Amino acid sequence: MVAARTVRGPLAPKNRSLMTVSSAGSQRRPGMIDARERVTGRVPYVMDVAVPGMLHAKLLRSVAAHARIGRIDTSRARTLPGVVAVLTGDEIAERAGVFPYFGPVFRDQPALAIDKVRFVGEPVAAVAAVDADTAAEALDLIDVEYEELPAVFDAREALESGAPLLHEGPPRIGQTFADVIIHAQGGTNVCNSFRLRKGNVEDGFARATHVFEDEFSSPPVQHVPLETHVAVASFTGGQLTIWSSTQIPYIVRSQLAEMFGLPASRVRVIVLTLGGGYGAKCYPKIEPITAILAKVTGKPVRLHLTREEEFVTVTKHGVSIRMKTGLDGNGRILARQSTCWFNTGAYADIGPRLIKNGGYGTGGPHAIDNVWVDSYAIYTNLPPAGAFRGYGISQAAWAYETQMDMIAERLAMDPLELRRINLLKDGDTVMTGEPIEDAHFHELLDEAARRIGWDFTDWQSGRTLLDGGRKARAKGLSCIIKGTVTPSTSTAAAKLNDDGSLQVLTSSVEMGQGLQTAMAFLASEAMALPIERISISSPDTDFTPYDQQTSSSRSTQAMGGAIVGAIEEIKAKLRALASEQLEIAPDDLEFANGRILPKGAPDRGLDYGEVIRRDRAGNIQGSGTFQTKGGLDPETGLGIGSVHWHQAAGAAEVEVDLETGHITVLRYHAGVYSGRTINPVQAELQTEGNVAFGLGQALYEEMLFDNGQLQNGNLGDYMIASIEDMPADLSIHVLEHLEAREIHGIGETSLPPVMPAIGNAVYRATGVRIRDLPLTPEKVLRGLQELRDGKMGGSASSADASGERELEGAAA
Amino acid sequence: MEQDLLSAPAPSFPSLPEAPDPDAEWVTLVLRVNGMEHQVRVRTQETLLDALRNRVGLIDIREGCGVGMCGACTVLVDDRIVSGCLMLAMQAEGREIVTVEGLLGPAGELHPVQDAFVEHTGFQCSYCTPGFVVATKALLDEEPQADRDQASAYLGGNLCRCGSYVKILDAVMDARQRLMSDGGGHRARDASGGDSNETSRGDGAPAPPAG
Repeated sequence: MVAARTVRGPLAPKNRSLMTVSSAGSQRRPGMIDARERVTGRVPYVMDVAVPGMLHAKLLRSVAAHARIGRIDTSRARTLPGVVAVLTGDEIAERAGVFPYFGPVFRDQPALAIDKVRFVGEPVAAVAAVDADTAAEALDLIDVEYEELPAVFDAREALESGAPLLHEGPPRIGQTFADVIIHAQGGTNVCNSFRLRKGNVEDGFARATHVFEDEFSSPPVQHVPLETHVAVASFTGGQLTIWSSTQIPYIVRSQLAEMFGLPASRVRVIVLTLGGGYGAKCYPKIEPITAILAKVTGKPVRLHLTREEEFVTVTKHGVSIRMKTGLDGNGRILARQSTCWFNTGAYADIGPRLIKNGGYGTGGPHAIDNVWVDSYAIYTNLPPAGAFRGYGISQAAWAYETQMDMIAERLAMDPLELRRINLLKDGDTVMTGEPIEDAHFHELLDEAARRIGWDFTDWQSGRTLLDGGRKARAKGLSCIIKGTVTPSTSTAAAKLNDDGSLQVLTSSVEMGQGLQTAMAFLASEAMALPIERISISSPDTDFTPYDQQTSSSRSTQAMGGAIVGAIEEIKAKLRALASEQLEIAPDDLEFANGRILPKGAPDRGLDYGEVIRRDRAGNIQGSGTFQTKGGLDPETGLGIGSVHWHQAAGAAEVEVDLETGHITVLRYHAGVYSGRTINPVQAELQTEGNVAFGLGQALYEEMLFDNGQLQNGNLGDYMIASIEDMPADLSIHVLEHLEAREIHGIGETSLPPVMPAIGNAVYRATGVRIRDLPLTPEKVLRGLQELRDGKMGGSASSADASGERELEGAAA
Repeated sequence: MEQDLLSAPAPSFPSLPEAPDPDAEWVTLVLRVNGMEHQVRVRTQETLLDALRNRVGLIDIREGCGVGMCGACTVLVDDRIVSGCLMLAMQAEGREIVTVEGLLGPAGELHPVQDAFVEHTGFQCSYCTPGFVVATKALLDEEPQADRDQASAYLGGNLCRCGSYVKILDAVMDARQRLMSDGGGHRARDASGGDSNETSRGDGAPAPPAG
């Protein structure tokens, strides 16, 4: 095994001692500030919340993929001892007095199915009982009559005329995020669409020497947070309080306020640490029905999903992407046209927004003057698809980074060289039309190639055979670009207490990414105060200020910026008070280690707390706001797609058993740009975690449906990466460029390269080009058989591979 | 991916105790957990996991999958690792049950395995951490000299969706050192361990590729 270490950018930061994890001295910083609680099992999750008198809820779920709901007989369930309430969708409006629909863009998802069910697993009835076993028992006593309707599961089939229609009537569009672009028509299964029109693709294809058109797909997969969704809701005195395992407390608050007709000030959302999120816990999921049951019963209610329920609560979008790329004779990309059919399932969730990122994302990290994208979110009778780590970029990158290698082979080029010719450099325009600054794709990819020992000579000799030809080894590369939600807003508050300690109030969610630790590091640096004197809150919307969302790899930059702003306000007030007390001009004071000091006379300094006590100020408060501007034109998709661009590269070496098709990832290198790393330990953990997450999606993960019924919705049948799947040799490169004075989130960025880097390596090892994730042994073996049978291209895909076409200016 | 059934010896537990009334839905048990006895009333089909969480009131044992595949509910029963979701509470009566909390010393000091997980930050969301810590303790009890590959095979049944596996293995190897060097005293902390950024992984020998 090879030692892996974080390599940093060339410049030494200012005040490096404040940031460096050092093994010597008192500045040594923990990887996570509450590590002790975490290794002793004492860190509390929402799952551990118990409210006196609490009832337990269970949901009866649809066995039909698409059906009219006939009679629901709940009479037997209601008489079971211990059952307090049984509720159906039709009863919600009447018994709870609430608007029964929710969704972060369209209000299309009912808390319980109303009139019809749209996927297998959709909640149809809810029971609240004295304990979970009783509630589960009651579910068996509910009889539901379904009148089956034709169902559709494939996104493109759902677009055909005569396809079963999921949602009748116009979409109920509600208040949503500033960056969301809506082109919703209603009356079809197109939930939303996004278009990007940069330059003139017809002209670009006309000038192209080579035009290639290929199709790629990624399946729906599940996030599998080990902690499933859980919520506890309570109504007291006209106020709704809900503890929820959500990544986005403020959206849960606004949606519940809307449903219940309450002012936002009467809805309190409390979040504890999450047992993983990965996007699954963005936006309301189980909070509406839990709160409704609390209102109906007048008692606190707890709902905690089983693993099987979690699988049908939200998924990654399955997608097919058709991608046409035109290049000149030197391998320079002149035009790209993509069509993306995102299967958004039965309800919109955040699909209407995700297709924007996944759509423009197909432009890739390449300088292309002419880009045309049509991206669709399409309703089908599958569980709702929503936010998933990578947010559409994994699917886009799987397409363009696989196609880059296919093109390189067709042009007999080194795939590294083809990428080098096209990768964005400072000043190039990204796919959404704005010039990029702070571009480091070349640096990341070159380092990835170096670390994996990239040694391309030609496409015929890319592999090493072992075991008498039974096994083959080869390497693959990839490089990606990802945006972060723009515009966006985070706010924070802080209180400096009269003992000199600091409380930071933030609504960003700790979900294992080390949010609280990173915020503590930033606050410590800004306030010039040891970490031990700083506390970082968990979200509680009664006390902690607005944060848009803990997602999109934005929190360290956005919430960090808000917290530093709050601290700057405190420091200004503290400086003014100390200036009076010490009779020294404010500008002649500085902050160090919890004290405010006259420059040049540190012995005359005062502890922060003493300044506050002398003034009888009680405490000093500050507030801060971090806001980014931007957004895309709804018609052209051009504008500021992201406040800055996240960048990553990957390199894999695989070994494929040519007799069994089994793939082993021997080596992997992940490179990611952080701007400035706040917590090196967490930066490594997040990046290693992305490799594990990506390995699972590359090799195993796929939700398998049979007529809408999930076949592998448990951890016995659905494989995620285990410790044994990790590459024996894993190296991490967190690239810093401190002169850019920016923090780039790294929570997702290194994930999208994993799948295409492995896929490209598998191709070079086997000659089998798999276009449809995951890379299963069956696909490898089928492809090898096709190669032996003399079929061209080694495609193991069901999608037709049109290969190269010499086109004359025919951009459709 | 598969649970490593071979390297983790399957403990053999006796069949269910005779219930006084075969139709009884509830039974009263005494569970001995982390050295304390708890009299609990449980449903006859209740798992040890549910009994420890809902009757005894522990929060350091957690359900991840409910089918014995993820290891989040790993506990020690008579020094053998068990998935709490696969054992009935009734089967655990009269046995010594230890959760991660039970590894703490008398004054609340961390077990060397816990120290090592802190040192290497062998977790992210840490939902799986109690299971990993308990399984690591069992591994090093059974195989005090376990190498990285053995540890990997032994821990194959514990899933970490955050993917902290590299640092978990670093922690396991460090825990092995701590336990060997302090002879089970559970005191000494290697203060010169260095930060995990600079920690060399493994022993420099190339790992054989898995077939």
